[in-house]
Parts: sequence; C-alpha cells; structure tokens
Amino acid sequence: MAEDPRPDAALTGLEGVPHTGEAIGADGLLVEPQAEDFRSARLAPREPGWFKGAVFYEVLVRAFTDSNGDGTGDLRGLASRLDYLEWLGVDCLWLPPFYASPLRDGGYDISDFRSVLPEFGTVEDFVYLLDEAHRRGIRVITDLVLNHTSDAHPWFQQSRSDPDGPYGDYYVWSDDDSKYPDARIIFVDTETSNWTYDPVRGQFFWHRFFSHQPDLNYENPDVQEAMLDTLRFWLDLGIDGFRLDAVPYLFEQEGTNCENLPRTHDFLKRCRKVVDDEYPGRVLLAEANQWPSDVVEYFGNAEVGGDECHMAFHFPLMPRIFMAVRRESRFPISEILAQTPQIPDGCQWGIFLRNHDELTLEMVTDEERDYMYAEYAKDPRMKANIGIRRRLAPLLENDRNQQELFTAMLLSLPGSPVLYYGDEIGMGDNIWLGDRDAVRTPMQWTPDRNAGFSSCDPGRIYLPVIMDPVYGYQGLNVEAQLNNQSSLLNWTRRMIEVRKQHHAFAEGDFTDLGGSNPSVLAYRRRWCRPDGQEDIVVCVNNLSRFPQPVELDLSEHIGSRPVELTGGVRFPTVGELPYLLTLPGHGFYWFQLAEVGDEGEAR
Amino acid sequence: MSTEMNPRTNTDPRALVDEVVAELPGWLPAQRWFGGKDRPVTGVRALRTTVLSEADPVLVHLVVEVSQPDRREPYQLLVSDTVDNHDATGDPELAGRLLDLLADGATVDGLAFEHEPDVELNKGLRARPITAEQSNTSLVFGSQYILKLFRKLTLGENPDLVLQRALHRVGCDHIARPLGSITGRLNGEVTTVGMLQQFLPDAVDGWAMATTSVRDLMAEGDLHADEVGGDFAGEAQRLGQAVATVHADLERALGTQHADADDIDKTVRAMTARLDSVVAAVPELRPYVPALREAFEAARDTPGAIAIQHIHGDLHLGQVLRTVHGWLLIDFEGEPGAPIAERTALRSPLRDVAGMLRSFDYAAHQLLVGQPEDHQLAVRALEWSRRNRAAFTEGYAEAAASSVGDPRERGYLLRAFELDKAVYEVSYEHANRPEWLTVPLSSIARITGEGKR
Repeated sequence: MAEDPRPDAALTGLEGVPHTGEAIGADGLLVEPQAEDFRSARLAPREPGWFKGAVFYEVLVRAFTDSNGDGTGDLRGLASRLDYLEWLGVDCLWLPPFYASPLRDGGYDISDFRSVLPEFGTVEDFVYLLDEAHRRGIRVITDLVLNHTSDAHPWFQQSRSDPDGPYGDYYVWSDDDSKYPDARIIFVDTETSNWTYDPVRGQFFWHRFFSHQPDLNYENPDVQEAMLDTLRFWLDLGIDGFRLDAVPYLFEQEGTNCENLPRTHDFLKRCRKVVDDEYPGRVLLAEANQWPSDVVEYFGNAEVGGDECHMAFHFPLMPRIFMAVRRESRFPISEILAQTPQIPDGCQWGIFLRNHDELTLEMVTDEERDYMYAEYAKDPRMKANIGIRRRLAPLLENDRNQQELFTAMLLSLPGSPVLYYGDEIGMGDNIWLGDRDAVRTPMQWTPDRNAGFSSCDPGRIYLPVIMDPVYGYQGLNVEAQLNNQSSLLNWTRRMIEVRKQHHAFAEGDFTDLGGSNPSVLAYRRRWCRPDGQEDIVVCVNNLSRFPQPVELDLSEHIGSRPVELTGGVRFPTVGELPYLLTLPGHGFYWFQLAEVGDEGEAR
Repeated sequence: MSTEMNPRTNTDPRALVDEVVAELPGWLPAQRWFGGKDRPVTGVRALRTTVLSEADPVLVHLVVEVSQPDRREPYQLLVSDTVDNHDATGDPELAGRLLDLLADGATVDGLAFEHEPDVELNKGLRARPITAEQSNTSLVFGSQYILKLFRKLTLGENPDLVLQRALHRVGCDHIARPLGSITGRLNGEVTTVGMLQQFLPDAVDGWAMATTSVRDLMAEGDLHADEVGGDFAGEAQRLGQAVATVHADLERALGTQHADADDIDKTVRAMTARLDSVVAAVPELRPYVPALREAFEAARDTPGAIAIQHIHGDLHLGQVLRTVHGWLLIDFEGEPGAPIAERTALRSPLRDVAGMLRSFDYAAHQLLVGQPEDHQLAVRALEWSRRNRAAFTEGYAEAAASSVGDPRERGYLLRAFELDKAVYEVSYEHANRPEWLTVPLSSIARITGEGKR
C-alpha cells in the first residue's frame, strides 16, 4: 500500500475545519491553527484563588446533551444546560478531552491539540460554550495530555516518516527495546512492554500507556515549546485552566522508574510561569495518582506558595471514605488525612467520590484492595483493570442516607469537591456495557424519549440510557427531581449553597476532633477571615448504620453555641463537659460555632 | 460530707483537713475509686498534708490512711474549701494548678512536681476529670496532657511510671509519651502519686473498637465474620504487632531472664492454688477441674527456655488505644488489687497475650450476656472471637522478639495462662457480675474440650 504523504492523513472528520497539518511550510513545519483565527470568549471575572472555594463538576461532553440529533452529546448541547449548572451552584466545569482523537482511549489519545472532535462540534462551538459559561460566572477547565499523543497526530506521522525532519526527534525513538527497564508497565492488561516497534521508521518508540499513544520527547526543547504553545492556544481563547493528565511521566532517565523526575518538575514550573506571567488567574490541576506525600511535590516550592500546579487530586482519600463507612470506623479517613502533608498557601486539593475512571485502588495496600473488591464487586463484571466501575448510588445500594452522608463529607473535607455528572440525581450505571462505559451513559433530563438527552432515533444513541426499574430515566431524571423539594437534587443544591456561605469549608484549616466513638468522624474547619473574625465549622458524621452518641472535646470553644447550618437551629452551649451529640444511622451535622450573645432575645 | 451552700474562702488549711478527715469515713465508700468497699471504714487519719494554697481558696494535697478490719491503706486526695464535697479534682481551675506546679518543676513541702527532661509544659490549662476511670482519677488539661492521680497509693515508684519511662527511653512508638510526675515521701519511701502523659484526643479504646465490630456482625443475619464491613481482623493483627513490639522494647530497656524449674513450679502451683480456692466458692467450675489441672501441669512440658521479663501485666482491650498513628498501650500498673511484689515481678510475655485473647472472647460475647439463648448469635460470637484471636496472634508472631517467638509454638503455656486468667474471671464474675459468669465458663469448657494443641 502506498503511503499517503499528507501529514494529516490519519486525522478523520476534520475536512473543512482548521486543523494541524493541512499544509507544510517551507521550513518543513506543519501549519497549525492559531488562536487569532478564532473569536475569543469573554474572560471570567478576575479572582485569584477562586479555585480554592469552587465546586467542580466533571461532565462528559458526549453524555450531557445532544444539540443536533446525531445521538452524541456536543458542546452546543452542554452550553444549553448551563442554566441548570448555574442553578445547582457549580463554579467550574471539568471537561475530559474534547479534542480530535481516534477515540481509542476515551479521547486521551489526542490526534490534534488544536481542533475539536467533530462529533462534539468545532473550536467556535467551544468558544461559544466558554463565553456562555463565563456569562454565568462558571469557569471551564479541560484535560490536557502532556505526556503523549495519539499515533494519528500529524507530529507522529511526520516523526516516523521523516526522521531527519523537524519532527524527527519529537518522540522517544530507539533502535532496540532495552532502555529504561525499571519503568513499570501501567496498563498491565493490554501492554507487555513500554516499547513498540514502528515498521515505518524501523525503530522502537516509547510509550507509558497504550502502544497507540507514543510519548513525547521532552528532552527536545522544540517539544517543550510546542506544548507551551498548545497551552497558550486554549488560554488565548479564554479557557480557565487545565487538568494535566499523567504528569509524572514526562521525562525518562536510565536507572530510575521514570516517574516524578526532577526535570518533569522543571517543565511544570515552566508551564506555571507561562500561566502566571501571561494568564494570571488560570489554574493547573495535576493528575498524579500517587500517595499524598509524593503528590505535594507537584505543588512546587512552598516558600513561594507553590510554583507548579495550583491543584492536585487527592486520590487515596476516596477509597478510604468508602472503606470507613463499610468498616463503620473513622480511622481509614483519619489516618489518610493525618498522613496528608501541608500544602503551599496558594494551593488546594481536589477531592471526589466518583469520576469517569474506576474507583482507584492503586494507592491502597493489597489487603485493603482485596477488601474493597470483596465489598463492592461481588459481581466480577464490575471489576476492570485495577478498579471498579460503579456510580455512587449503586455503590451505596441506592441508600439515600448514605448518599447524603458521602456528599456531605465530600463538601466538607479539606479540598475543592469535584462532583461527577448525574450523581446529583443519584443516577445508576449499566455494568453490561464494556470497559468504562458503565458510568458514562446519557444524562437523564426528563422522562421523554432518550431521557431528554437527544431527539435522535433511540437506536442511534452513543450508549443506551439507563432503563432498569430502579435507576431508569422514566422515574429518575432532573425534571422529576426539580419538582420534588425533597429530592436528592434539591438536597445537593441546598448543601452546596450552605457550603458557599462558609469560607471555612474552602480554606479553613482542618482538625480531626477524634472523640470517644470510633464510628463517628468529627472535624473542625477554622477560617480566619480578613477582618480578623473566625469562621468555625464543626462537622460530625456517623459512619455507622446504627444510631450513635459521641462526646466531643470542644473545650477550646467553651461558651460558644453550635448552630446547625441547614436549619439554623441553635444547639446547647458548649460547656465544661465534653459535648454530647446523638446521631441517627449514617446521619451527619454541620454546625457553625457562634459566639453566644449574638442571638436574638426570646420573646 | 456536707454540700457547701456558700463557698467560704477564709478557712484555715488545718481546719479544713480536720473537717475532711472527719467526714471521710462516710464519704469514701461512695467513691468509685475506693478499693475497700467490702469492709467498713473504721478510721481515717492524715499521713501527709501539703498546703498548695493557703487561702482564696485553700488547696491541700492530702494523703490519708484508711483503716479497715485487717487492712490499712494510704489514699490520695486533693481538697479545697470552696467546692462541693471538698474534692478539688472536679474543679477545672483548682485542679489546673497541678499542671502549673508541674510546669514550674516546683517542690512544695517535700511534694515534688517534676516534668521529664526536655519537656516544656504549657501552663494555665483547665482540668477536666475523665469519668470512665475506675480505680484512679485522671485529669485532662486542654486536650494536651493527662494526669493520672493514683488514688490508693503503693509505696515506692509506681510501675506505670517506671515502665513507660523505660519504654520512652528506647523510643517505643506504642505508648503515650510520659511528661512528668508527682512524688512524695511516704513512710520514708519515695512514692509516685501522679503521672503526667501526652493526651491523645483522637484515641478510641480497643474495647469500643472491638465491640463496634461485634455489633456489626451480630446485626447481619447471614454474613460471616470475614464478610462483614466491620471486620476487625486487620486491626487485631496490627494490635498483635503493637503488643509484641512493646514487649520487645521492654526487653531492650530492662532485660530478660530465663525462668528456671523453680519459677515454673511456682507458677504452676499458683495456678492450681487459685483453681482450688475459686472452685470452693463457685461449684459451676467443678466439672472442669480435672481438665484444668491437667492443662496447668502441661505447662511444665513447654520445650526450651521460657523468657521472663517486665510485661504489661493486666492487658486487655480496655488498656489499648487506637489512634491515627496506630495502637498504643496504657496503664502499665499491673493487675489492680495484686500485691506490689507480684505486679513488678518478671513474667512471661505470654501472660499479656493470654490476657488479650481472653479479652477478645469477652468482646465477642458481651452482647449475649443476659439475653435469651440464641444459637445463631452464639455461633457468630465464637466465629468473631476465633477470627480475631487468630489475627492477633498472627500479628504478635510477626513482630515478636526472638526470645519470645511465635506464641503458637508455646501452645501449652499459652493455654495454661489463658485458663488461669479465665479461672480468675470466674471468681471475679461470681463475686461481682453473676450474669457474666457464662463467659469465662463457656471459654473454659471450649478450651479444655478442644484438647491439647
């Protein structure tokens, strides 16, 4: 078969829209779309540190709303739901990749950093979404994969066919597969080596993930510049930041496991400098699935308040929350928080209960992992790689009290909460769908055709809507829950609202209050307001399914009065003795500690 | 003692002491920590009076001798003129002065308040008594420190202080750091009256942890102990490691010896003697006597040398704390009520292992006590106990010093110690909680019925 000489030959569906590699300049460089070619979105209000108090919402463009009836959600469809997200109290959307991609890894195999996956729309559609979001005070961040590209990316096509050209050194090529033997293989289910032979170039290329995702060669200064320009492209259009995917793996070095290398951190500092100098107020969020004491490295130098990523996900917390409730013991959570180091002033954790990936078990010990499997995956179909594909509601056997307890902890533990689309209405999953699709079914808006997600022929939809008797869209949908004041949706919205009234939830320091009862997790968040006043919130969570008493040592606050935050009910004043509370099974309280005296006289 | 309607502030300390001493015979028997409730109090006299504050209000540290038929024992009190019943340990500010004295390293009239070397204490914290305490009174200062005031005093240095200091010296991670002590001379001997330690506000005692797990299992109809969410085996295993580590640290700090034939003979005879005296009072024990005797005698056959050393001496789930940094052991006083010579004697660490194994049995069965017989729950309790005893022993074996080794390799000895402890429990329950008698009795039936391991 004769090889197509065009560098964009492997890109599909981009005819007629600007994309990388439509032409090659005289210098041999690929012509790439520029931000100036497009309209830019209005910017979100300037507010440094906004991310520290923000409620994030992870939404899959494909799964939210289909605007053109082709069965697949798109950017315009998502834009049409911004009123709902604003009503819910969402501050920032996190969109997994919507770039051009052969979709062999859920879009994380990017074939052109500067164009949008055609079924989602165009760059113009993205700018429209961004503009509409900013108009409502909602920010948008998206995933950016720094480590690798799809093998369909014109850079890789050039690199393999023209080793001496400007892209010849864009990837990590080698004559044999013997280098870096200490780097582990991440996708053990599908890959046998981190090297794959390319018959076109006649060399092996390096890949930490799938063999269709060659790693970029960060030793090459041109690659570093090209990726910084990729950041600039979207930042110029107005995007509010990036979740940087798979950051620990950028550089390779013989004799190491090729993770978390110093030069990887150096490059992140360069990215941060671009943001700080040219785009202040935008954020970088690290996806580094590591133990917290290692993840803090990705915040950078604490003395300057952090000079790498502004945020990082706290991965081990999530499985510990699940384990603590199953064990009816606060220690799994208390331990991991006690092991979590302080982070620089300008930084924040991102915490979550569920996301588009599996319940991550990489970071728990073998014993705990076996336990988590036993508890949550009684059906072997629920397991995938190292993880479990379930949504929050089915994981909790649709128990409303537990869903509320988990959400209350998500909204009150230290870090910015990241909600996963659909969990606010308690959506179910479909374990009969392959791979990770179980938790990526269409958002359920109404009891109408396709759950109001799309007007297409139901056979054309990208994944079937959930139709089982418990989680089916006929009964479980946004419209029904909007009309029901006691719905999970209205409850979630109310809790987000309460959270926002107290900045202690966002930036308050965290103290585990311990207590006499191992089934009760109690903690204090204390925030010193700029005016010197303290905002103190105390959260008490019953991890047991049985009612529990707890005696809390609030002796530091003798004379204050706990005021329950959702109803404003004033509880008895804190006295000399330990403060006694009783909680129903899986119950929780949020209190503000108020100075006595600022309450009205009874009449 | 009378309740003061109007606090007085001009009492003379001597007058206060006279008043207190006069009222004590009526007041003492109502105190939880008073160890002589079995006999009338025939007399009380002041042994040692230390005026900590002359006036506004008066605060006196007082050691009294309590006379009872065939018994005279010293007790410690902290008294003031301004509080109900004169007991100043319940007053946050008055009791808080003890901390200030400790921080200053003060000596008042021979009563020495000392902090440990390299320790600097915060002053001015209010004191809160812990209500759960049995035989002593413990005061918590601002969630930072805990001061244990030994109520019934033992002449000499208290083993609790001696052992924990030794453990701290060798860097043991499984104790709360000792921070200070209060000592005074009593009958010419330097005697520990109080001990200050780091307070761990996040701690939960092992009994609460274990019974939470048992409750979880009992609430499940069909799941086994290894299937329920509240499974405790992981904790039990880590607890076993902690106990073994403490034993190894005690050995490092204070040494170890080998028991000779005479020691072993004495031990076996003591166990048999206890059996004889208990069975005389509790006829329900009679059917097991031959098997028990045999088990005690079998302890002589344990192969190899038996290491003896300082041990905890009264180890059970209520003497361990779970914190976010793992398990801690507390209260190294030895078995309360036992003579001091016995409490400080070198013994096999397997005594502590046996004590903990007994405690797992108690935790498993505590929900069944006083309930109508339920075969299903009884099976579940046994299942929980087996699983967690095995996990504890496994953890102990993993971390045990070579001198002690895997307890399972000394099955005869461990079994004898456990049965001896159970015989003691029979006598205790018979006297105090007849409903609970079934717990040790059923354990004895099971262990002796299972034959020799």
